[in-house]
Order: sequence, then structure tokens, then C-alpha cells
Amino acid sequence: MAQIVLDHLTKRFGETPAVIDLSLELASGELVALLGPSGCGKTTTLRMVAGFETPTAGRVLLADRDLTDAPPERRNCGMVFQNYALFPHLTVEQNVAFGLEMRAVERAEIRRRVADILGKVGLAGLGGRYPRQLSGGQQQRTALARALVVNPSVLLLDEPLANLDAKLREEMRFYIRSLQREFHITTLYVTHDQAEALVLADRVAILMGGVLQQYGRPEDVYHRPRSAAVAGFIGLTNLIPGRVRTRAAGRVVVDTVLGLVTAAGDPALREGAEVLLSVRPEQLDLVRPGAAPQDGANVLRGTVRERTFLGSLADFRVDVDGGVVLRVQGRPSAMERAGDAVAVAFDAEAAWALPGATS
Amino acid sequence: MIRPWERWWMAAAVAVLYAFLLAPIVIVVLAALNSGTYLRFPPEGLSLRWFVAFAQSRSFTTSLRFSLKLATLATAASTVVGTMASLWIVRFSGRWRNALRVLFVAPLAVPGILTGIALLIFFYAVGWGNTGFLGLVIGHTLICTPYVFLITSAVLLRFDRTLEEAARNLGAGALRTFWRITLPLIKGGIISGAVFAFVASYDEFNISLLLSGVGMTPLPIQLFDYLRFSFDPTAAVAGTISIGLAFVVVLVTQKLVGLDALYLGGG
Amino acid sequence: MGAPGRDVLGVELVQAGAPRERRLPRHAGRHVLIVPALAVLVVFFVLPYLNLTLISLMTPSHRAPYVRVLTLGNYTTLLRDPFTWQVIWHTLWIGVVTTAVCLVISYPLAYHLARAPRRLRGLFMILVISPLLVGVLIRTYGWMILLQDTGLINQTLRALHLPAAPLMYNNTGVLIGLVHVFVPFMVLSIAGTIQTIDPELEFAARSLGAGAWRTFRRVVLPLSLPGVLAGTVLVFVLTISSYVIPSLLGGFTVLTVPLLVVRTVTELFNWPGGSAFAILFFVITLVVVGLYVRAMGRGAGQLPDQGDDR
Repeated sequence: MAQIVLDHLTKRFGETPAVIDLSLELASGELVALLGPSGCGKTTTLRMVAGFETPTAGRVLLADRDLTDAPPERRNCGMVFQNYALFPHLTVEQNVAFGLEMRAVERAEIRRRVADILGKVGLAGLGGRYPRQLSGGQQQRTALARALVVNPSVLLLDEPLANLDAKLREEMRFYIRSLQREFHITTLYVTHDQAEALVLADRVAILMGGVLQQYGRPEDVYHRPRSAAVAGFIGLTNLIPGRVRTRAAGRVVVDTVLGLVTAAGDPALREGAEVLLSVRPEQLDLVRPGAAPQDGANVLRGTVRERTFLGSLADFRVDVDGGVVLRVQGRPSAMERAGDAVAVAFDAEAAWALPGATS
Repeated sequence: MIRPWERWWMAAAVAVLYAFLLAPIVIVVLAALNSGTYLRFPPEGLSLRWFVAFAQSRSFTTSLRFSLKLATLATAASTVVGTMASLWIVRFSGRWRNALRVLFVAPLAVPGILTGIALLIFFYAVGWGNTGFLGLVIGHTLICTPYVFLITSAVLLRFDRTLEEAARNLGAGALRTFWRITLPLIKGGIISGAVFAFVASYDEFNISLLLSGVGMTPLPIQLFDYLRFSFDPTAAVAGTISIGLAFVVVLVTQKLVGLDALYLGGG
Repeated sequence: MGAPGRDVLGVELVQAGAPRERRLPRHAGRHVLIVPALAVLVVFFVLPYLNLTLISLMTPSHRAPYVRVLTLGNYTTLLRDPFTWQVIWHTLWIGVVTTAVCLVISYPLAYHLARAPRRLRGLFMILVISPLLVGVLIRTYGWMILLQDTGLINQTLRALHLPAAPLMYNNTGVLIGLVHVFVPFMVLSIAGTIQTIDPELEFAARSLGAGAWRTFRRVVLPLSLPGVLAGTVLVFVLTISSYVIPSLLGGFTVLTVPLLVVRTVTELFNWPGGSAFAILFFVITLVVVGLYVRAMGRGAGQLPDQGDDR
């Protein structure tokens, strides 16, 4: 049963469209990341679910009720704001109790549930503090507690980690994920950080220019992007234009400036179609030019132009025959230096053919 | 980076200027506490005799009481009117915003003496020639409202509206959100605005000069008439009371909203 | 989990399939907020000024404040009278001198205030604001104690066997009083803009080899012009319309437009004449300020958004 359904949702501000014909379903207990660059409409979408914006067209269904026009206070969705929006004049306890008071829960019950949730998020004993007396991470957990204590039907998170420093952000990712599992709550998570989306989400929805580009499991979105835009937005990739020569058994052979390349590809691709090959830098191997190619692997010859040390990785720019520069990432112990003649090898699974510009 | 002599020069100049700003105020307090009729240097000694003279002067105590009553009414009216207006203008005015802001501050920008004359003639023209006290309250409210409006607006503009969204999200309706979240958080601004309005009314001269009738003499008018013919330090006592009041206002405002809200130009 | 029946919102949810309507007018009630303020302003501010304009076109009379007969006579009489122009000229002169002196005094104060360390800024702000709150009358009284012939300054001069200086009941006294009263307005206007100028800009200018003076002249001053503009206009307008200071510190020797208008209305009971003078002065002020703002705008190459009321 779908817990959140966005049904052909469109929002225009004046003449400017922010979200265009967006349809999305979240299964019960699922965590979906709404990912996209800033201004792509992801926050507007979240605000329509929360009821802060009225859609220009389309419907919002939460737990099978059409709430498109319901005011925010009748939607029973918990929300964590980017700046947390903790009430500065109320203590942590009072902040967390606020939603329960609005639901006319009995005093004793409120006290019990507030204490319970503060214990769960690790804030026991801090209930008497004011938000300004808390660290960023504690404020974040207060905001989570305040949203979860009312047992909302869905949880909405708007860039919840954007205001934390890098180390804490990393920690909180796993914390939010485990909390979400524990409460088994359907969650819509807005972020512009692709790593965050890939780590956290069951499914990722990529939004660009207000249009849904792709909706799928993190692995699929990463390895099987449906467009050049998606491939370019998530992670680094090499894009090589070409044309499908033959196809068989889920493989396509693509004619490129580098010669023939065997790749995986969408079964719908036809022979002769223009495509872009997407190859992730970490899936390329640098080998000695003379080394014998493995079976089924593609080998390209070239010269290392530049080598950069990235800590856990070494990053190479390789000029390959045919006038293309490929990014290759490998272990920092790799011996190749700028000017060395090398071969770049990758097997067919590592390359993904996606529809090119004119198809 | 900044050379020491530059800093000293600046400090000296600023000190002299602050002395200039504060001199007459200090002088008034000294005059009130001085035992002689004229302030001399060195002072002749401390005494409270002018405070006693003030307390015994019917005309001064009557007008002090009158001023306080007038200021209380004008403050109450302008606080309600000004706060409502600033809420509307900051939140809902849309494209009318700039024009309305100008209109609302206009009573401070046009010459008060002209406003007084305009009101005097207007009251007469519409047959309220003898409105008396009501006319004064209206005139003062007109002058006080912009202060409330400006200070409350400044606070509202800084107000983080996601707090209201959070409250709505947690199940509070629009009205409950206002009472439980918005109002407690802008309370400081409203109080400061009210305090400013009170002092503005207490010190208001122009409107009172033209609208006050027989038996209704606010303190500034009483002082003005007095000072035209006499320098006797009884007036200084009235001044000292006013200075004390101003001091309270400054402290309250600084504590509740921060005086930075009072910058006039720029942003 | 949780208390049954209580967890879901107390209010029942909107049912699925309920008719949907976009842009609900459900907040129409909020416009009530603006009604009282608008009513007060229109009835007791806009209308009285319109009425004032109307009265200035009525015929003066000895038996009533005015007679309802339209005429331009009040204006022609005023415009022909050299005395009118003399008073207007003197008022504008006082306005210009006061504004200029205020600017010179206020700029260093404003700069100092805006650049003061955060914890001291409150204190300096108090020093600037306090005079503003004490009321014109009290401050003028303070100056009277200092400036009169037997006042503290002349006492000191006499003790030093120096000739006494006539400081009150003349232009000097009026100017001192006016400058003192309006400096805080100028300081607040300028400090507001200076505070928005990033101090790093000054460091940048110094690091590029500009001295203190050139840094000020080329960086700080141009960027603070909007505040200067606002402050000078405000002080000028307040100065030329002030009543208390010219009448107390000027005695009967300094005559300005507000004094003359009030006298015409309250002592001569010539309401149309007084109204006409008020309107005439209002128009002249607008023209002077308008010319000034334009000249400043051209000089600075950047106007603060004056006509931005789209």
C-alpha cells in the first residue's frame, strides 16, 4: 500500500513552473530521497506534501486520503526543517510536547511520550534546555524527536543535514536511517547531496528543472542512468558519443571515435541509434600497453596527461587515441606518471549506453 | 594596519562630540539638584528644594498628570493599531507594501506643526471644534503609531517564518500558531514600540501646541510657557523626570529588541 | 502504538474525493488588520491635509476663521510680499547650515558607532539615542542654562576676564540648539549604511596602498552615500519645520516659517492666509529636497531606490 502518492503534481509561481507533472509513489516504510540541484523543485514538492504550498494541478494523497487542499495542521505529517525551526522560546521538552498538546493528548501521557522519545534520540536529561543551548547535532535530534513523537503517517525531511559539519553529517546519515527503520515510517528526504541520497535511500527520485528524470534504486540510478543529465549529476562519469552497430543478448556494440566498444544498454535501443556511453572513472583500469586484454574487455590506448592525488584515490586524465580525455580513478599506489603510455581497460558491464541527444 | 594616531584622533573627536550631545541633559539634571536659583560653577550645593517646588506647583503637577493620562491613551491606541498594521504590511501587503510603508511613516516625516494646524482646522471644519481631549488623543495617536509600526515591522521582518510552518505542521491552526508561537516571539518588539510611543507622546509638542485647550495643558506646553518668561529650576525637575523616563525606555528597548533595530537609513 | 484514538489528529481529515478548489479565499479575514490604521491615517491625516489645501483657497474674514468663497488671493498676497520671501529665505538658510554642521559632526560618530565592537555598540547606541528621547523642550532648556547672558559659558568667560558672547536670542543660539537636536537622526541614518559596508573592504583598500584618507574618500564615503542622503534630507526637513528651538533660543529676533504660520493661524486667526503659507512652504521644501536628491544621485552615480514603487 502506497503511503505517499503524488499524482501529476504541478506547481507554478506566476508564470514560472517549479514542478511539472510529477508523479511519485512511496511504499509503506520506504525512504525515498528527492535529489536534485538547487532550484530543481524538490523543496517545493516537499512543501506541497506538507501543505505549505497549494499545487497548481494534481493531487497529494497521504495514507490513501486526498489531502491536496487540507491545511498543514490536518495532514499529520512530521517534518524536519532545514534550519530545524525549533521554537526558541520553548524548552526542548516543550518543543517536543507541542504537537501532542495540539492533539489534546493528556498531560501525563504527554510527559511519558516526551520522556520516551527524548531517551530514544539520546537527549534524556536535556529536556529543560533551550534550543540555543544545544549543539547542532542535538538541535537536529530535537527536531527529529518533535516530528516523530506525534506518530505521523509520513516523515518529511528538508535537507536535514545541510547545516552540520562534515563529520557529524556522516554520522547523522546512519543515525537517521536507523531511526527511520526503527519507526518504520515512510519518509521523503530532500537533499542536493548525491552521496547522502545513495547511502540513505531505498529509492532515489532525481528531479531536474521541475521534471522527474529517474526514479529507482540507488544502484540503478548510479550505474544505469537514463539520461546524460542524470549520469552527469550523480558521480563523475565519462561520456562518449557513438552509434549502435549491433546488439545481442543485452549487449550493444557501439561505434565511437575510439573504435568499437562493447557495452551494456537499454534493451529498447535499436541498431543505428545515437547513444552516449557512460563509463564511471573507478570502473576503468590502467594497464601496461602490452598486457593482453581479458576476454570481453574493451582496451583503449593512450597517454597519461595528468595525475592528481586525492587521498584514497589517484585520479588520472588520459589522452586516448581518437582525441578524447578520459578520467580514470585507481589506487594511489598505481605507478603511472604523466607522459607514460598506458592502456585503459574496462569490461562490457562497466559501460552503459544511454540514448543520445537526437534519439 | 590602522596607525595608533588615527585611533587616538578618532577617539578624541568622538569623545568631544558625545560630550556635546550629553551636555545639556547633564546640565538640566544638575540644575534640578542645585540649591541656587542659577546654576553656577562651582555648584552651590545639592538640594531637593526644586523637587519640592515642583511637587507644590499646581500647574506643573496637573500638567504632569494630564501628560501621563494622554500618553497612556495614545500608547494603547497606537500599539494596537500599529501592531496590526505592521503584521498586515509585512505579511500580506504584496505590491502595496512600499507605498503603504511610506504612508504609515509619513506623520513623522511631515512637519508636526503643519499636521497640528491641519488637524485644528479639520476638526473645526467637520464641526468637532471643541473635541478637546479626544482631538489631542487622536493627534498623539497619529504621531505615535509610526514608532510602533517601525519597531514591530523590524522585528517581524527578522522573524523566521518556518517556525510558524513548524507549528502548523505539528497540528496548530493559524490562530493558535499566532498566539503560541508568533506573539511570544514578537512581544519584545511590541513592548518596545509601545514604550517608544509613550515617550513620543509624553514629549510631543507641536500637536499639543495647536490642539490643547483651556484646562488641558500637557507638560511640554506648560514648560514652554514657563520658559518663555522664567529660568527657575522648577522646569529642570520636569526635565529630570523626562530624562529618567527616556533612560527607562532605552534600557527596555536595548534588552528586548536591541537598539540596532532603530537604524534609520540604509538597508 | 500510543494512545488509541488520540494519535491521529483530533480533527477529522478531509475525505478523499472532496471537491478541490484552488486559491481558497479562506484568509480574507486577515485584511481586517489594516483597517484601523488605514482609517486613522486617511481620516486624521490625509483628509486634514487635503482640507488645509482647500482652506488656503478660501477668503479670510474678520468675523469667522474663513468664508467659503474660493480665491487665489492668499497666494498672490504672499508671493508679492517681500517679507514672505525674507522669512522663507532665512528658514532655508538655517536649514542648510544646520544640516551641513550636523553632517560634519555626525559622520565620525556614525562611523565610530557602526565599527564599535559588538559589546560596546549598545552603550554608544544608548548615548546617541538618549538625547533623542529626552524631548526637544528639555534639551533646549539645557542650552538656555548654558547659553544665556548669565549662563555657564558667559560666567566662565567673565571669570577669565574675556568679553561676554551673545549666544542666545540670535541665530547662533538657534543653530546650536538645532544641530544638537538633530545630530542623533543623522547619526542613525549614516550608521545604518556604514554597518552594511564590509570592513574587509577597508582592509582591502589599505592593502592596495590607499591611506586612511583615501580609503575613506574612495571606499567608505561613496558606499555610505545612501545613508548620508537619507540623513541630510531628514534633518533638513525637520530643521526647517521646527518650532520650539527658534522660538525659545531665538526669542523674537529669529523668525522662521513655522513661527509665522502659527502666529497667522492662532493669533491673527487668518486661517486661509496661514494655510496658504503652509502649503507654499511645503511645495518649496519639496522642490528643494527634490533638486538636492537628484543632484546627489547624479553626483554619486547611484540613487537609492527612490521611485521603486512598482
